[in-house]
Amino acid sequence: MKNKYIFGGAIIVVFLGVMIYLFTQTNVQYEADFAKIQSKARTFKATGTWVREKNYEVNKEERTFSFYMKDQSGREMKVILAGTMPNNFESAQSVVATGKYKDGCFYATDLLTKCPSKYEGKPQISSGM
Amino acid sequence: MIGSILLTLALVAGLASTIMYFLSFRGQENTLKVARISYHAMAILVIVAATLFLQAIITHQYQYKYIYEYSGSGLSLGLLISTFYAGQEGSFFLWTFFTVVIGLLLQQYASRRGDLEPRVMSVYTLAASFLLMMVSPMLKNPFAYIWAEPNFIAASNINPAILNMPFMQSFFFTDGNSGQAFIKMSSELYTTLQKSGIAINDFIVQGKGLNPLLQNFWMQIHPPILFMGFALSTVPFAFAMSALMKNEYKDWIRQAFPWVLAGSMVLGLAIMLGGYWAYGVLGWGGYWGWDPVENSSLVPWLIGVASIHTMLVQRKSLARHETDGIGEFARTNLVLCIMTYVLVLYSTFLTRSGILGDASVHAFTDPGRSVYVFLVILILSFTILGIGMMIYRWRYLSKQVEAYKNLLNRELALFTGSVALIASAVIVIVGTSAPLFKTSVETKFYNDMNLPIAILIGVLNGLSLLVKWRFTEGKEVIRKSIFSVAASFVLTALMALVGGVHGLMMIILTFSSAFALFANAEVAYKIMRGNKMALGAYVAHIGIAVFLLGVVGSSVASGQKQVELPKGEPRQAFGYTLTFKGYHPVDDGQKFGFDIEVRKGNVRKVVSPVMFFSQYNNGLMREPDIISEFSKDFYVSPVNFDDGSQQSKGSQLTLNKGEAAQFEGAKITFSGFNFPKDAMNTMMSGGDFQVGARVAVEYNGKSFQTEPLMKAVSGQKEFVPVEVKDANIRIQMEGMDASGKVNLVVTKLDGKAAAMSGPKEVLSIEASVKPFINLVWTGVLVMVLGFIVSVVRRSKESLA
Repeated sequence: MKNKYIFGGAIIVVFLGVMIYLFTQTNVQYEADFAKIQSKARTFKATGTWVREKNYEVNKEERTFSFYMKDQSGREMKVILAGTMPNNFESAQSVVATGKYKDGCFYATDLLTKCPSKYEGKPQISSGM
Repeated sequence: MIGSILLTLALVAGLASTIMYFLSFRGQENTLKVARISYHAMAILVIVAATLFLQAIITHQYQYKYIYEYSGSGLSLGLLISTFYAGQEGSFFLWTFFTVVIGLLLQQYASRRGDLEPRVMSVYTLAASFLLMMVSPMLKNPFAYIWAEPNFIAASNINPAILNMPFMQSFFFTDGNSGQAFIKMSSELYTTLQKSGIAINDFIVQGKGLNPLLQNFWMQIHPPILFMGFALSTVPFAFAMSALMKNEYKDWIRQAFPWVLAGSMVLGLAIMLGGYWAYGVLGWGGYWGWDPVENSSLVPWLIGVASIHTMLVQRKSLARHETDGIGEFARTNLVLCIMTYVLVLYSTFLTRSGILGDASVHAFTDPGRSVYVFLVILILSFTILGIGMMIYRWRYLSKQVEAYKNLLNRELALFTGSVALIASAVIVIVGTSAPLFKTSVETKFYNDMNLPIAILIGVLNGLSLLVKWRFTEGKEVIRKSIFSVAASFVLTALMALVGGVHGLMMIILTFSSAFALFANAEVAYKIMRGNKMALGAYVAHIGIAVFLLGVVGSSVASGQKQVELPKGEPRQAFGYTLTFKGYHPVDDGQKFGFDIEVRKGNVRKVVSPVMFFSQYNNGLMREPDIISEFSKDFYVSPVNFDDGSQQSKGSQLTLNKGEAAQFEGAKITFSGFNFPKDAMNTMMSGGDFQVGARVAVEYNGKSFQTEPLMKAVSGQKEFVPVEVKDANIRIQMEGMDASGKVNLVVTKLDGKAAAMSGPKEVLSIEASVKPFINLVWTGVLVMVLGFIVSVVRRSKESLA
């Protein structure tokens, strides 16, 4: 009876240990401050908005998609996504890019777009007529 | 108005029924009948309300905010019906509807099984009442009127004849960014319209429409099946609670069993359909992305399936009547059945509270404070109720539990299987809950953690058949497993040598899944001649084995390839010859199908991936197309279509001094401005001057120094571009800013050349090969089939 609990307990400890280890290894933080992203050489999920004025670029040979992204404080960063432009990128209200900052660019492996109309969004009304 | 009243009355009836059922359980006389009548009243009210809501959707009653927000005129009937559950309110309503309807069956079932009904129905009706609170006018009411809260409506959705009426002036607003006109819909405007005798339905003539991502066949079947699964998961909870209420733990196992099986079957099917939707239509490229919304329905399923296995052990130990005890794993079963429902609620909280906002492609955004609080109350109530009852009965339960004695028996194999499933559920919960702590995990976390568990599940899946209940001789197991082990070796060798499966863990997983497949097939073959009803479990296990083999097969790196297809010119990819033939309109010209001839040897097929521009989210939508062969899928995802009429616009670069950028294979480095000494002075005095940007271009190992200029001649700015023929680019300065950055526009030179030789239509696609993905779908469907057989068998047994 006692052995059973020791055995079970040991398995649980090993399982949790492995899980916590892998969690810390694969964990990616959301970051809305690009200064922090640019100062560290680790993977982040950068959240911000697309700088519409600077357009985007699709490079067919290198198979990349690049654009500029800016955080809440207005700091801009060039994002290069390994892949193609996601659906409804143009209408994205905000974007979440997963990747690493290196040599002046943010190299993203994944890009998530959040579209205002997909949700219960409200238009921003600025002036009456 | 009538809809809100119906739902409110339904809530009242639900609460009355809960109380009456509870009083009936406590022995109060003459309450059972009232409880039943109340339950049926609630059910009728909900069914009528749902019918009204559906009718309002079909007849475009835009006075309801929900219908304006999610539906639109011009949708096909099927899609119109699916707007019922396209938003928060409607999907809660659908869940409520299924819960209430399934409750009717449960009531029938329970009323024929002794004193079960008051207990199980009081708990079940409480759960239904909570859902009714969610759709009541206090929270997410689908029948809320559009003017109840001030709301901006695009002027284009309003009847133009009324829009121009003088009294409308004060309700006009303009969006400063887009210049779009809006009407502020409020109770004020509603009264004004009423005074003028204008019905709101003549005023708002179009809804916002359904998200194009949801406009397909799968939207019409996946969510209803998922919510049916959610509703069914309430049943095991109610049964576990009913056992705890009576403090009697034998009957509920047999009685709840077919419901647990049915719930797992429906939820499993729903999860697979969601996976197929993502793969076949949404173009995710795979069947599973560990998306939080997918995960959150997987977790209750894993726990539900775990409970099936330990419930089976308790059933067996009870059937032997060896002792007066309550059988093995009595506590485990209670906890698992409670957790199945609690986890459904937790997943609802994760996906609907707005907490996953940034983490998921299809989570809902912030639903508002009151809903958030209500969701928390909902989980806490049922968790505290379930766990509280467990603690209350724990001492009694501990005395009754039997311990098992031997190591090599089916009980232990089933228990270990459950533990493996629970471990997998824990992994998925931990990963999915990470956004609560402002972090997230890569999919590697899920994959690496679940791989060893999948191996264990494969082995146990086969082994549990070879060991007997109670006790088995080691020798006997070896003798029985000879066939399956030998066959698995052959299949694994084939998969590794011919199928390209590599990596130690993947090869072990292949072996363990193959072992599960052959062991189950062998037993199933023997049973075929006997009691066919006993086949259920084996068929389900064969399904899981096939599914795991599909997972292994499809994980073999196949690679992706982007291919440019000029019209009429064949191109090669993965051994297929692709020729873009042209496009044709589909869905009444709203979308375009791009026809590509795919040739391999003498076989010729056509795929038509779809692209269209969606007004709804103002973007290009893409749908893949697939050629399914026995051993693989050829997956074609559209990327872009260039009709040749436009030159490439070029791209804008903003570079700091010393910074470099890539353009079409050329490296462009800005090394600084060439600023003549007197330029600053002439600039200040408004005279003519010129500034150059020193730009280096590296292409194919060659480098070029260029200097595009910015000139100011009599106050007019001029830009002088440079062309680098060898690198096929043209660079023009577009401006400079105070911080020393330069703005450049880079274009391809041959964009022009191509235009001169006549427009050439080019379709870009992404092609990939997905080996053995069919096994994933087949596996799940076979498993569902097995579940159905088991449900029928266990329902019959539950009456005994």
